[in-house]
This record gives sequence, structure tokens and C-alpha cells, in this order.
Amino acid sequence: MTRPVSRREFLNLLAAAGGAGAAVKAGSALGLLPDSASASTLDLTAGNGRSAIILGGGLSGLTVAYELGKVGWDCTILEASHRCGGRIFTVRHGTLIDEIGNRQYCEFDDEPHLYFNAGAARIPSTHRTVLGYCKELDVELEVFVNENKTCWVQDNAMLGGRPVRNVEYTTHMRGFMAELMAKAMTETEMDAPFTDGEAETLLGMIRRFGDLNEDDVYRGSFNAGYASDGFIEHGVQKDIIAFRDLLKTRLGMGLMGANEGETGPILMQPRGGMDRIIDGFLRQVGDRVNYRAMVASIQVRDDGVEVAYDQDGSRRQVRADYCFNCIPSHLVTGFEHNFPADYVRSLKYIRRGEAYKAAFQAKERFWEKQDIYGGITWMNNPSRQIWYPVAGIHKRKGVILAGYDFSGGMYHTRMTQEQRIEAHLTDGEKVHPGYRNLVEKPVTVAWHRMNHMLGCAGYWTRILDGAWSAEDEAMFRLLQAPLNGRHYMIGDQISKHAAWMESTLQSAQWAMNDLDRRLRDMPA
Amino acid sequence: MNPRAEASDRLMKRTWILTTFLISIAAGAVAAAEQEPLDDRYCVTCHGTDGRGNEGVQAPRLAGMEPWYLRRQLENYRAGIRGAHPDDIEGLAMQPMAAKLTDESIQDIIEWIGNWNYVPAEDTISGDLEAGRALYQSCATCHGADAEGNEALGAPALAGQNDWYMVTQLRNFLAGYRGVHPQDVYGAQMRVMTTSLSGENDINDVIAYINSL
Repeated sequence: MTRPVSRREFLNLLAAAGGAGAAVKAGSALGLLPDSASASTLDLTAGNGRSAIILGGGLSGLTVAYELGKVGWDCTILEASHRCGGRIFTVRHGTLIDEIGNRQYCEFDDEPHLYFNAGAARIPSTHRTVLGYCKELDVELEVFVNENKTCWVQDNAMLGGRPVRNVEYTTHMRGFMAELMAKAMTETEMDAPFTDGEAETLLGMIRRFGDLNEDDVYRGSFNAGYASDGFIEHGVQKDIIAFRDLLKTRLGMGLMGANEGETGPILMQPRGGMDRIIDGFLRQVGDRVNYRAMVASIQVRDDGVEVAYDQDGSRRQVRADYCFNCIPSHLVTGFEHNFPADYVRSLKYIRRGEAYKAAFQAKERFWEKQDIYGGITWMNNPSRQIWYPVAGIHKRKGVILAGYDFSGGMYHTRMTQEQRIEAHLTDGEKVHPGYRNLVEKPVTVAWHRMNHMLGCAGYWTRILDGAWSAEDEAMFRLLQAPLNGRHYMIGDQISKHAAWMESTLQSAQWAMNDLDRRLRDMPA
Repeated sequence: MNPRAEASDRLMKRTWILTTFLISIAAGAVAAAEQEPLDDRYCVTCHGTDGRGNEGVQAPRLAGMEPWYLRRQLENYRAGIRGAHPDDIEGLAMQPMAAKLTDESIQDIIEWIGNWNYVPAEDTISGDLEAGRALYQSCATCHGADAEGNEALGAPALAGQNDWYMVTQLRNFLAGYRGVHPQDVYGAQMRVMTTSLSGENDINDVIAYINSL
């Protein structure tokens, strides 16, 4: 660096690096949330013989059946497939993966720790509604490891494709970043808004952040791990990796934020699979579910909702006072209905998600021999990530996530099953030599083609991570409101933060609260 | 595609047994704990209630489609003659489903579709009807003056099909996503015919005209 960084530049740099995250943290600390994990803040009035038809046995539909059932409503759930849970889907021995054109049965060994959460897989500790229902429904939880710095980072463009430990990448990167920040602090006249004491504190943090030496220069760190020993004898520091080499990969942009926000610690998962949550709901409302009942028609009337569905080769009718609909919007548009044009336009507006996941059963837990227990390896190839299981530590086998397209999964979706598997084997081999022979029994889940879903989490805005336009907002409000006061669309599709169970649950609670308010306001 | 006069209550009167390929498919699966009854009747997940078409997933109307045209397309998809081009987004979703079909299940599906209730498609495209009428004259040779189709010429009915689907297909023919496979004889003919259309306006106009028939 040949010229000092101006104070303005430095502050801009700080704002860019930490501003948004800091704002979010401050927001969640304002005490607006309930004091502890609690399933609901609902205070619903008694059903008084009212009935609800719930379309779809996804998480939000089950929540409505459970909560309304508690206060005496007569609820019926119509579920098109053979199972409830929608995108809360745990694949284990014998599970049917009903992808259209690629039906699979999972062949994992029949052991409790050999499972794969093909949809929802993480519960942040701040997602209180999810945690509250887990508590209420007796779903046992365990800590989930998301970021594990012992895992690998691999990019063909970096170091000739040699994988490096996450901890090496991030320690060195922090060191170099800290060196830049320290330079900015010392070479720039840092008057207001910092006092000398504040500047010294900040500089101290920068030095610790990057493990700088006494000259504020980064010369490597034991934080990156030992080249040898470190216990009985003095440890030997690993060789530094040049800054320029680390910059050869763009994975750093994901890595440096992987442990922040909603994917930061502490995350949790139900012991035995995410569908333990669904099991918990089904223990309460399982007798309300009508399986293999495929909705054909929704007619919203002034005094209720009429639904037709196909089951066992015949078309049946059911009527209820209210309807809660968690069927993906892009499937609802294919039903017979009497919705107004603007409602249909909003239903069509939500784009269906394309996320894709794949998993292998590993014949042995080869990652544990490399000191890896849980966490994620990052790869700059289409498989993108390998997740190592927390379940079953030190047992013989384990199930690993072999590929995860979290935005834009069509690359693998368009392949045949054989091509998908080969792609993951080839990608994984770059991190784990011999991978191909270490894994077996593949499963792939292309949400875009899953029967009765045809999409992963929907998205509203047309700009990735972009702000919502006024038009987006208007259409959202239209769909969130009950059509004719009778038909509620629910699920994470009716939230501003799709793909999280918390949004799904809060969407269901929003709808029930809204209906309750309307009922209380009704003249007796 | 002439609207069917039959009322919806005749829908699904036929009970259908799928013993034959139930056995053949289940034999390929592992001895699994969760064995679902299997068949190949997936159509309405994408194509909507009674195969009315679903714009939400860009799946066209099947109800009312001629049996001979359904068979040709299912066989083309199965053989990779249609739905193999990497930019044919919807075709790529259809192809793997069709690839699993046996002759028996194709026959079953065609008969099943024949029992579906037909309701007129909703118009979603507007355009210049006069311009569309002029453009349609070359289409009429094969597809008929009322877009009623002509089996002898291998040309399906267009009237009653979802207009957004026909727009997509015209674009696909023009771009070479459809009708380029050497074995797609009818598709190749269609592709030649679409070259008379110059751009989106022409496509909208001709589809709007078909809507008016």
C-alpha cells in the first residue's frame, strides 16, 4: 500500500464490512421478542363448532390444524402425497423420493443415525417459534455444527486445486485484512470521532482479530493450526499462504460470512432427523390427515369454502367455514377455482425455487480421520458443499451431504440420476482422494421436480437479495389477506424470509391471528 | 382441440388396474420399508386439474388433446426426440418422466386423459387480430381454418390450447429448441413454417387470432 487510507475511506470500509450485520444484531436485541422459546403467542377464541379445511400437510398446515384443534375447531387436512411435511423431508432407509421421472428408494442402512435432511436442516437458536413447538411437542434437539474450521476449502484456481483447511484460509485472510486495517489506523490521522483511548481499543481488537505481530504485520499464526506437535514439544507453525493465492478463489466471500447471521452458532437439529418435528405434530393431529387426496377445485363462497379433491379414482367434495392453503402457489394456479384475476396474478408471480441436494452413505467415517466432526467443506464446483454429520460420531458409517445447490439448482436437476451421482463423485474426489470408493447408496433430491411440490422455497423479488418493489409488496399483501375473508394462503411462500421453518410457522400464526381478530370483530 | 361436450361427472368412472407395471417397477426397487403403490399417472401434478394446463409451472393443457398427437409427443419425449435441447426448459422437465413410460402406460395415460373434463382455456395474450389473421393463413393449411387440427397431416388442433404455451412453442421452434432432431419429422416441418414469423409481435398476433377462433 503506497498511500495512507483516508479516514472517510476507512469508515466506509468499516461500514461495508460490519454495518449491516451490526444493525441486524441491534435490532434483535431490542427486546421485542418473547422472553424464551415459546410455541405461540396465540390466544384464539373457542371454535364453537367452526370448521377448517387445510390444504397441504406441510408444516404450516399442520400448525393450523394443531392450534385450531386445541380450541375446538373441526379441522381436516388434505395431503396430496403419501406423507406429511412437504420440504421438511428426512430421507432414511426405505424412504421414497418421489421425483417425477426419477423415483428413488433410499438404500441407506437401517440405523437411526443414517439419515439425510433433504429439505430444512438447521434451526437457528433465535428461531423461537420453531424451538417452542419442539419443546411443546417433545421433539428432542441436539446441537448442529454448521461452520467447522477443520473442514476443507477447495478451488481449482487456488494452489493448483490443493484443498486447504478452512482455518488456514480464514486465519490468513483475517491476518491480511487486519494488517490493512491496522495500517489504516496508524497511517491516517484518526481524530474525531475516536478518542485516543477508543482508537487504541480498536487497534487492539484489530491486532487480535488478525493475530498481528508487534509491528502490526501478519506473519502467520498458530490459529491456523500446527504443522507438527504442539503438546509435548513446542508446536511448529504452518507455512503462511500468500494473500494473493487466497484471493484466487471467490469462496472466501461465502466463508467469511458462513458463521454469521442465521447460519451462525448456535444451530440445532432434532435428534434422528428434521421430520421428528412433523412426527410431533402428527402425534397430535395425525387423525385429521387425509392422505393421497389431491385438490382439484377451490370455490370460495360467502359462507365458506368448497373443495373438491381426487382420491382413489373418484372426485370428492368437502366444505368448511374457512380454508388454510399451504399448497405451493404454482400448483394452486392449476386447480379449478373462482379466484379473482389479481389474486391469480399474485399466485403466478411467486417464482418457484430450484434448490437441490444430494447425499451418500459413507462406508466409513473417513472425515473423522482428518479431525472433522460435523461442519461444511466448501468447493468451487457445482456440488458446492459437503456436509459432515454430527449424528453418529465414531460409529462405523455416516451419511454426508454430497452436493447442495442452494440457489439455482437446475445444473444437477437437468441431469439423469447417473450423471448427478458421477458429478458429485468427481467433485468430492478433489477434496477427499479415493472418495469414489468411500461412499455408496446415493440419493438426490431435486425439489423442482418433486411430486406434489415442483419447487423449493419460492421467491418474490426478481433481484437476488434485492429490495422488494412496491408492486411486490402489494401482491404479497393481497395474497396474505384472506380471500373473501375465507381462504388464507399460508406457508413460507407468504413470508418475507422463505426457506426457514420459522417463517412457515409465523405465517400460519399470522393467518390464525388475523382470522381470530375478524371473528372477534364480527357482530354476535 | 374441440371442447368436449361431456360433463365432468363422467370423469374417472373407469376403474383402472395397474397390476402389470406395478410388479415390474417394484421389482427394480430395493426391499424397502416404505413401499408406495406405484403408477405412472403423474400428469396432473404439473398439468393441473383434469389436465387443464398450469401456467404456474408452464405445463400445457392435455384435456382435449388428440390421442394420436398425445402418443406421438409422449413417444418423442421418451425417445429423446423432444425435450433434449438444453434450452428447452419445460421440455427438459417432461423428458425424464416420459422416458420411464412403457407402451402400456402410454396407452393408459392416453385413455385416462380422454376421460378428463375439458373447459375452455383462459385467454392471456392479446395482439392485432387482423395481422394475426393474415399470418395464420399459412398455418391454416395444416392446422385448419378453425385451428381444429388435421390428423392426416399430423397437425394438432390449436384452438383451446393455452395461449402462453403456444407462444413458448413458437419461440422454441424459432430458436431451434424444438424441431431440430433429425427424427422429428413433423417438428422440422413446423420449424420451417415458423420462419415466416418475425419477432414477438408476430407471435402474439397469430396466437391472439387463434384465441379468437
